[in-house]
Amino acid sequence: MKKFLLAAGLLFSVFTYAQDDLLTELDSTQVQDSYATSTFKGLQIVTLQSTKLPAAKEWYFVVSHRFGTVKNGIDEFFGLDGATTKLGGVYGITNWLSVSASRHTLLKMYETSVKYRLARQSADFPVDIVGYNTLDINTFLEKEDYPKIEFADRLTYVNQLLISRKFSDKLSLELAPTFIHRNLYDPAIENDDQFALAAGGRMKLTKRLSLNLEYGHNFDKPDFYKNPLSVGLDVETGGHIFQLIFTNSQAMTESGYITNAAGDWGDGDFFFGFNLYRVF
Amino acid sequence: MKNLRFIIVVIILMIYNCMFAQKYGTKTGNIKFEATVPSFEEVAGESKTTSAALDATTGDFAALALMKGFRFKVALMEEHFNENYVESDKYPKATFKGKVEGLDVSKLTADAKTYTVTGDLTLHGKTKKISDAAKVSKSGNTITITGAFEVKPGDFAIEIPSVVSKKVADKISVTYSFQLVKP
Repeated sequence: MKKFLLAAGLLFSVFTYAQDDLLTELDSTQVQDSYATSTFKGLQIVTLQSTKLPAAKEWYFVVSHRFGTVKNGIDEFFGLDGATTKLGGVYGITNWLSVSASRHTLLKMYETSVKYRLARQSADFPVDIVGYNTLDINTFLEKEDYPKIEFADRLTYVNQLLISRKFSDKLSLELAPTFIHRNLYDPAIENDDQFALAAGGRMKLTKRLSLNLEYGHNFDKPDFYKNPLSVGLDVETGGHIFQLIFTNSQAMTESGYITNAAGDWGDGDFFFGFNLYRVF
Repeated sequence: MKNLRFIIVVIILMIYNCMFAQKYGTKTGNIKFEATVPSFEEVAGESKTTSAALDATTGDFAALALMKGFRFKVALMEEHFNENYVESDKYPKATFKGKVEGLDVSKLTADAKTYTVTGDLTLHGKTKKISDAAKVSKSGNTITITGAFEVKPGDFAIEIPSVVSKKVADKISVTYSFQLVKP
């Protein structure tokens, strides 16, 4: 009797088998592409680079401002009188390699950079790892003031490793060990080599709005400079990414931002600014 | 001896089971959707890795596409699609489960015949009944199903923010093409 039931059951299964299992079967054959995406929306968290790279053949046009210190109030219109500008472009050569060039008002600096992805966060690997190297050319130093200056003296190098993890669809954090070398420095107050550890993160408030925070700890800075602490708000509108920023470090080059933070949050001495990215 | 007979019956039933379920399948099905508004930037995505299966005896049909498998011309659009619109991390796949009404495989030829496909389309956590015409043909061991239908983002609780609402069509046209092979 038992066997009969089993046989009947099997026969019955012929009719039910096909019904529900088509989809379940498909489910088990599909392989999920498990890379973490959109860890950060902008190429920068605030001023620090994020682990985002442009896609292949994508152009980003960048305009950033850092205004003067807000400390002097209405006299200087909360710093807007002392605006500094960064104008630049970023180009994605491949999905894992991009180059950029920019011109900065502060110290008439030219900055070139290369950014490359080394590893991606997935089910098998916990973090994104991106390398970032910049070369700054200071064209503010005049021959009349420094008669013996050579081209090499104008150069500053930054080597950075950006390590980030998307913890949830809202929270992403990044750690950035940074090594800075300057060809021109004042041995009385600073080293030619400086090491810093920066950290940053974003918290999404809504789908198109996120709050960003970053801090850099410079281990070799002279006492009168501060460590950069910045807060930003990402606003995304289709092809634009707009970042509103408050920071105690006015410079926008990687080296200047980390080594020359002059403002002091405690004294109300900080700078307002924004980054605007347009994608082509 | 009785046992042996039973085992034979079971084996025959299992073989029958396998033969009976005449399944055709693919892992490289094609789905395209288009939400372009004339004179604005193209808003379109395509998946070439949709898997689908058809039970030729019953006409049961199922398809599954991973949202992250849709490719766009503009990388940023693809990112926004996954992150802001269909929320691929939360809802990684779109599925269809339904039936090709009145399918009779023995009558299929290389010339496509029109059938009605009805079933449930699930994406972004919402399910909607779809019923539309599809063309079905068969040559050799391959059954080809092609068709098109329209959906609205609102049917699947996909919000289109007001700033871009002019650039994304109200009705999204979806076309599909599956070449299903008997394994």
